[in-house]
Amino acid sequence: MTTSAIRRPDKAKPGDERAAALRLKNNRLGMTIFQISWIMAFIALAVVNWQLRFSYGQWPPLGVAPFDPLLPTVATLALLLSGALVMRGWRALRGGEPGRFRARWRGALGLGALFLLLVVYEFFTVSEAALATQYGITLRLMTSFHFVHALAISLLLLRVYRQAGRGKAGAWAVEGSAKLWYFVIIAWLLFYVVLYWIR
Amino acid sequence: MATIAVPLGAQAEQHEAEAVQRPALSEYLRWSVDHKIIGVQYGVASFLFFLVGGAMAMLIRLELWTPALDVMVSGSAYNSLFTMHGTVMIFLFIIPMWAAFGNFVVPLQLGAKDMAFPWLNAFAFWLIPPAAIVVLLGYFVGPAEAGWTSYPPLSTLFSGDGQTMWALGAHLLGISSIMGSINFIVTILNMRPPQMTIWRMPLLCWAVLATSIIAVMATPFLAGALTLLLLDRIAGTTFFDAAGGGDVLLWQNIFWFYSHPAVYIMVLPGMGVLSEVLSIHSRKPVFGYRMVGLSSMGIAFVGFTVWAHHMFTSLQPELRIPFMITTMIIAVPTGIKMFSWLGTIWGGKIRFTSAMLFGLGFMSMFVIGGITGVMLAALPFDIHVHDTYFVVSHFHFVLFGGSVFAIYAALYHWFPKVTGRMMNERLGQIHFALTYFGFLFTFFPMHIVGMLGMPRRVAVYDPAFTGWNQFISFAAFVLGISTFIVVYNIVRSYTHGPVAGANPWRALTLEWATTSPPPATNFIDDPIPFEDPYGYGTEAATAYLDAVDAAYREPGGSR
Repeated sequence: MTTSAIRRPDKAKPGDERAAALRLKNNRLGMTIFQISWIMAFIALAVVNWQLRFSYGQWPPLGVAPFDPLLPTVATLALLLSGALVMRGWRALRGGEPGRFRARWRGALGLGALFLLLVVYEFFTVSEAALATQYGITLRLMTSFHFVHALAISLLLLRVYRQAGRGKAGAWAVEGSAKLWYFVIIAWLLFYVVLYWIR
Repeated sequence: MATIAVPLGAQAEQHEAEAVQRPALSEYLRWSVDHKIIGVQYGVASFLFFLVGGAMAMLIRLELWTPALDVMVSGSAYNSLFTMHGTVMIFLFIIPMWAAFGNFVVPLQLGAKDMAFPWLNAFAFWLIPPAAIVVLLGYFVGPAEAGWTSYPPLSTLFSGDGQTMWALGAHLLGISSIMGSINFIVTILNMRPPQMTIWRMPLLCWAVLATSIIAVMATPFLAGALTLLLLDRIAGTTFFDAAGGGDVLLWQNIFWFYSHPAVYIMVLPGMGVLSEVLSIHSRKPVFGYRMVGLSSMGIAFVGFTVWAHHMFTSLQPELRIPFMITTMIIAVPTGIKMFSWLGTIWGGKIRFTSAMLFGLGFMSMFVIGGITGVMLAALPFDIHVHDTYFVVSHFHFVLFGGSVFAIYAALYHWFPKVTGRMMNERLGQIHFALTYFGFLFTFFPMHIVGMLGMPRRVAVYDPAFTGWNQFISFAAFVLGISTFIVVYNIVRSYTHGPVAGANPWRALTLEWATTSPPPATNFIDDPIPFEDPYGYGTEAATAYLDAVDAAYREPGGSR
């Protein structure tokens, strides 16, 4: 007779190790879902930008000079580089090289700060003519929405970096904050293309 | 005959002497990370909001008793009233109510000890009370009067500060919903026992999974829309004001990109409940299990492609037909479910328990709401009945005839597991009869007044409709009164109901293979699910159910 009376084979691992493995698996999947979910908020703002273009005959609107992409491009490169350093630092930590981890994350944090400063500079130097239209307003909306996330997550990176210096950062704290920083980068690339390159 | 080994894990025979302890009531009033406590917190809070929203509905029907203004001081006051009614019912009742059942039942059905992220779970719940306070207090400070959809320019140029508070509250509720949904997805995907493949998962879990996917993908759009609304109201931007280069249709697009999928957030878990309840109470396997699971996913995905059917009268004409077609396509996965339910109960040993009655009530009402949905998807018809009572009737058939009936079915079905006590079946049947006929006679005639041209969202109407409206209001009051019966039944059964035992319905899913209410860790040992969650009517199933009964028999003996 068919039966489903399969007793669960006894696990070789002790219970708490199994629980820790499950916790890590949960954290990773949860982080992925959060990233997929919250990027939709950024996509929503990109859609807002796209739809508002139809209110004007051309984009940028008549009489408004297009944004100069030079500084935003520098900011983007800084952010990309900081992402690469975060990734390599995390890899160094897993490879048992905390010294290299700290050096790379120091660089990443510095580049992140540069990115934030450049974004703030762009925010405050939008021309009056642009601010009279949705062209300038959506730039402020989107960059500030991104800035809030980038600032919060860079502060988290800073905190994890300091904890790691005292040997107190858990493996997940490093991995999770690194993945959040990647999220900041992806979200910025979306906005960067929409704001500065799609005319 | 060979003895059928029963897959209970190492837990059988340990429960003889264990008295089932219910958590103290004070446990429910404080921060707790136990999914069962959180589930009840969600449930009780949302039910209270149901009473608040219901009282508002009664006021609406009282106002509409005569064609003139009599209860409300002005048309604006009436606007605020139905705005709050819709907001409370959708954001504070139906959506969190499904989080209640999801929280309580899903980890148990999966044989898990808790949700994947217990702390996040509690946090998601505790965002709701402050959000509710903000939304409800807004009613007293220059209330929102733009309807629950909050279309600009009504919501930007006309409503008072209450509209700002409405948007803030909705923001918090959206964040709560996203966090809750991430939790559900991770729990369902990661925390099943090894024997439970995704194709052996109970259908409520499938439905909650599909719902959560919708919530995590769509709710951020609501957050975007609300952010713009808040900026327009507070910071002087003009995203929705054509005079400032904005676009009123922007709100409609972004809002409905969230809110149409949100309709499925409100009804998909109910469909999952139906599959459970109909199968268990007619003692038959679910007909077409895989297709039912997949149709939940189908609804979730197609649901993202239909939003602009809410905008047929404002949309660019060339986009209307594509949205009409996608809207009609979504009737296909819904139809699959309907035929699965019919196939499930067909030839079954139906027990007309209160849960089953509400399940059958759901089927009959939801099919009407579904068919009027297809009618409204047809562009020529939609333009004719746009903004009339036909639309009001349609969405109440879906959201009351659908979601609320399913919530009642779920309540009668899982109350014994939550409290350890049975609900009173006689009162349940009376409640069902009053709700069923009260509902039918409230909302069915609205189709007719809608076709005759009575617009929605007005307090003053053509006196020719007085007779219909008085009939509708009378039925609505019966519907309102029926709610007191279930409130009494809940309270009375909680204190005096007969002891339920572990598995009063003799159901095969795992939540019934533990005590009622379950212990803090849900199961004594890792439970092993029965091979088929709906495999009723086989010898193996009977042996399994007998073994569950034997393992969890109350010390007193009888149930």
